Amino acid sequence: MSLLELENVVTAYGKVEALKGLTLRVEQGEIVTLLGSNGAGKSTTLRTISGLVRPLSGTMRFLGQPIDRLLPEAIVKLGVAHVPEHRRVFPGLTVRENILLGGSNRVRASRRELETDAEQMFAVFPELKPFANVLGWKLSGGQQQMVAIARGLMAQPKLLLLDEPSLGLAPLIVQQVFQIIAGIRAQGTTVLLVEQNAHMALSIGDRGYVLETGRLVAEGNPEALWNNDVVRAAYLGGRKMVR
Amino acid sequence: MSGIVSSEAHKPPTEHRSGHGSGFLIVFTAAMTVAAPLLLPLTAYYLNLLMQASTYAVAVLGLTIVLGYTGQINLAQAAFFGLGAYSVALGTVSFGLPFWPALFAGIVIASVVGAVLGLTSLRLGGHYLAMVTISFQQILMLVLTNWISLTRGPDGIPGIARPIVFGFSFAESGTYLALCVAVLWVVGLCVGRLKHSKLGRAMQAVRDNELAAGVVGVDVYRTKVIAFTLCALLGGLGGGLFAGGFTYISPDQFGFAESVVFLTMALLGGARSPFGAALGTALLILLPEWLRFLKVTYLAVYGGAVILLMVFMPEGIWGFLETLRQRLWPLAVLPVGRVAPLPLTTKVAREDGSIILEVNQLSKHFGGLKAVDEVELSVRRNTVHALVGPNGSGKTTLLNVLSGIYKPTNGRLFFDGQAVTRLLPHERAGRGIGRTFQNVRLFTAMSVLENIIVGAERPGNEVAVGSTGVEQHALAALDFVRLAELRKQTVQSLSYGHQRLAEIARALAGSPKLLLLDEPGAGLNTVEKSELVQLLKRLKGHGLTILVIDHDISLVEQVADRITVLNFGRRIADGPPAEVLCNPEVVAAFLGNVKTHVAP
Amino acid sequence: MGIALQLLFTGLGIGSIYALVALGFVLIYRATNVVNFAQGDFAMLGAFSMVVLCIDLELPYWLGILITLVAMLVFGALFNLAVYYPLRNRGFQPVIISTIGASILLENGVLAGYGPRPQTLPSFFSFQGFSVGPIFFDSQYLLILGVTVVMVTLQYLFFERTLLGKKMQATSQDKEMASLLGIPVALMIMLTFIYSSALGGLAGILVAPILFVSVGMGSSIALKAFAASIIGGFGDVTGAIVGGLALGVVETFGAAYISVPYKDAFAFIVLVVFLLFRPQGLFGEKVAEKA
Repeated sequence: MSLLELENVVTAYGKVEALKGLTLRVEQGEIVTLLGSNGAGKSTTLRTISGLVRPLSGTMRFLGQPIDRLLPEAIVKLGVAHVPEHRRVFPGLTVRENILLGGSNRVRASRRELETDAEQMFAVFPELKPFANVLGWKLSGGQQQMVAIARGLMAQPKLLLLDEPSLGLAPLIVQQVFQIIAGIRAQGTTVLLVEQNAHMALSIGDRGYVLETGRLVAEGNPEALWNNDVVRAAYLGGRKMVR
Repeated sequence: MSGIVSSEAHKPPTEHRSGHGSGFLIVFTAAMTVAAPLLLPLTAYYLNLLMQASTYAVAVLGLTIVLGYTGQINLAQAAFFGLGAYSVALGTVSFGLPFWPALFAGIVIASVVGAVLGLTSLRLGGHYLAMVTISFQQILMLVLTNWISLTRGPDGIPGIARPIVFGFSFAESGTYLALCVAVLWVVGLCVGRLKHSKLGRAMQAVRDNELAAGVVGVDVYRTKVIAFTLCALLGGLGGGLFAGGFTYISPDQFGFAESVVFLTMALLGGARSPFGAALGTALLILLPEWLRFLKVTYLAVYGGAVILLMVFMPEGIWGFLETLRQRLWPLAVLPVGRVAPLPLTTKVAREDGSIILEVNQLSKHFGGLKAVDEVELSVRRNTVHALVGPNGSGKTTLLNVLSGIYKPTNGRLFFDGQAVTRLLPHERAGRGIGRTFQNVRLFTAMSVLENIIVGAERPGNEVAVGSTGVEQHALAALDFVRLAELRKQTVQSLSYGHQRLAEIARALAGSPKLLLLDEPGAGLNTVEKSELVQLLKRLKGHGLTILVIDHDISLVEQVADRITVLNFGRRIADGPPAEVLCNPEVVAAFLGNVKTHVAP
Repeated sequence: MGIALQLLFTGLGIGSIYALVALGFVLIYRATNVVNFAQGDFAMLGAFSMVVLCIDLELPYWLGILITLVAMLVFGALFNLAVYYPLRNRGFQPVIISTIGASILLENGVLAGYGPRPQTLPSFFSFQGFSVGPIFFDSQYLLILGVTVVMVTLQYLFFERTLLGKKMQATSQDKEMASLLGIPVALMIMLTFIYSSALGGLAGILVAPILFVSVGMGSSIALKAFAASIIGGFGDVTGAIVGGLALGVVETFGAAYISVPYKDAFAFIVLVVFLLFRPQGLFGEKVAEKA
């Protein structure tokens, strides 16, 4: 049984069909990437999985359990954590408070447990330690991204959905973030990663899917996708590209 | 221009006939209702009731304008009503003026106060306006109750005289009622006509999509203030007639509770239609008379009714009937006769390749975030210039600065040789900058053609004067994008691709010198995208200058003469497509850096 | 000088009432982006409840207060379900209108049940108060100030030190993100309404012995509380408190030195002045528009 299965999922925003029958799966322990240019439907896929948007038709199963009718609060309790686009760190709360709230889905955990786990996050993200009591809106983009990922990990998810973690970050920070993602998988958490930065995504993923206007146009392992003209065309027109 | 065919001659015959037919019907009905009080033997009780209904309806029509058409909330209509009433009362009783000058004074006072209130609070959001109007309401009550030397306080003012015209006295209640009904008809018809006028369209645009309205050329602030002032004016008119009708007024008739009553009447009947105003008023005045024994709780029922209306029937009875009608008799696709070609070339092109838009060291910061960082850009006439970059590179922010939606942190903008850095969005539209939005922003309550007409009515557009000229121009713009047949449809019934085209037509109707397109290809399928490419090529062929943002490079490279690439808010490349798309820095920005090995 | 200090004391007392109601306003606004026009009527209900329980039913004050507070907690939940929840996705205008409707319903419901005559509630204390120098410290006013200080402190501790308080803050800062973390957003909003309703009710309980308890008292307090929150900076909790206190003082001085019948006008005048020259208030920040 796959960890996550999507079959023929159709999602629309009002009149616009953002996903036109998407089928994919994620197996335990993988890093799967979703590629595609802007507007391809990558973020919509994650938002549909995490329950922010309800699909019009199709099925979604997590560990065999259907999740297409559930609220986000219920889905995260099942073990799917979504780190959305643009980081969305709570601006009026400190770094520590943001991270602490990441454990909100763990209803049985005591405050003490959560605080211990939050402290452990500072070990994984040592650059955040000096900023533990700084309010969210004062952080730089890179710091916010780390806080967002730490917050996602606090949920102790089985599946982590990451939406464009490299967005707006300097190349060096991007490298760091991707090291962390690799580390996450090493700890046993499965990752579904949405990235516009195809290079980085393919360098870390086990498998990839390529979306274009809501449809799957290619899938396979990184080498195959990188050499695939369809992928290049999806990003850069393909014709005048020099390798 | 040859071949101009008047749309009148080619109108399907049914349109003509129904136009004249409904006109006769209206005049006939009006005449009957005005004559009725003179002919029928109504008791004083019913005469009073109908007088109240007709004068209230005039005030509620004010709410139709400000709330129904323009979408702004006014919770002080009873105060304006009171201003009108007290002007007539004090004018005739304390100052010995005849009725008409006192009424006129009342209308002027109410309008001026409304204008002042509007000017101060319409710059801010909706709940500020609501609170200011409520405050004003309370203050007026205080003044009316306490300034006894002027207003006679809570005792009120009895013995208000009725008007005399050329020796003919309206003292008799039936005659006065006929006067009120006549005034109501005139006001109702004017308010109805307003909806289809330039001002009416501007108001509805502000209500439906304030941001787009400004960008398309509507002076949003001025439109709101005018709407508010008109509302106050009608409130004053209604109040003045009310005073003459009942010949006695006191402060408690003009409190916040009455404002809520006016609001409920507008909402119940349907705020967006003058018929709704009349319907709501009639229902809420005549019906409760049966329920008079509930007098003590009937205001409580009002309160509950308002909540239920908002939840279940926000468009009121009339709105509900309208939706029903649209569902049962949907508007057909209308064939259109020959339409004059859109005069883009003659009015806008100068094919000298000079620079039409110059962006100098432009920056836009949001706190610590540098969304746009010292960008330089030059767009030449009669070219298609593309702005591309990965997600979050600052493209849309830059476009918003160009439209005037954001003020730049630093830097300057020159359009057609003139500095435009500080201009408001509608002023830029007036200079000839047109724009479409990434998320289509059409005016949902208006038809497709009306949307385009709003675009055509931007300030400074050199179109033939008069409504036919503007409509012709709009039709031409619609025809250019091949949507003319759908002109009478509602915007919501259009497919997404067609909505995008309609938005482009709206911008084209403004005869733009520069067209800004924000992700026009987003959400389109391959067929629609190739049609878009054809459209852009045609526009360029007509001499238009276009600045287009899109992330679909294959679309862009088919039409662009020049591409500017942004990354992290900075410009990283600028030049012809062949050059730019091979630039390794550009490739890296889109596809990511050279492959690095990340330990598993 | 003595008079000025006395006025200051009285002003702070009445200002505390405005502050408590303004606090309720601001909390609901931050959580739901909606201005609750019935906020003042929560105070009116609290006051009337005291009249019914302690005068008509002759219950002891402490019992009356307890029952009233519990009733207001329940009322807050009902209010959320009936007035806000069905309209929560509709944009702010229908909700404003709906809360106005609720305000009318409440005021006229009480009017129908109790009649228009204003009621009075005797002071909670048998002893009037005490003098220090030229200032007389009325016991009821001392109670108001004391309770307000305690409430503000407790509230601060709740929001800053408890996890639930943090979750409620998170909900008001980014609802969607909060739900992604597993925070039950609808419950957080319900708690906000319940708490704001109790705050309003508490203000009503405290002010009942000082003012005439009438059906319209809620609207007039609400107007001033709203003005106070704008003056303080709309959406800012500290601003609501400071604004309320400041307004109470201004109003009291104005009534004493300028004019009594127009006392209520001062709130409006100060409001208009702020709206013209500093709409973001004392502590607020300018809100940017997005395309």
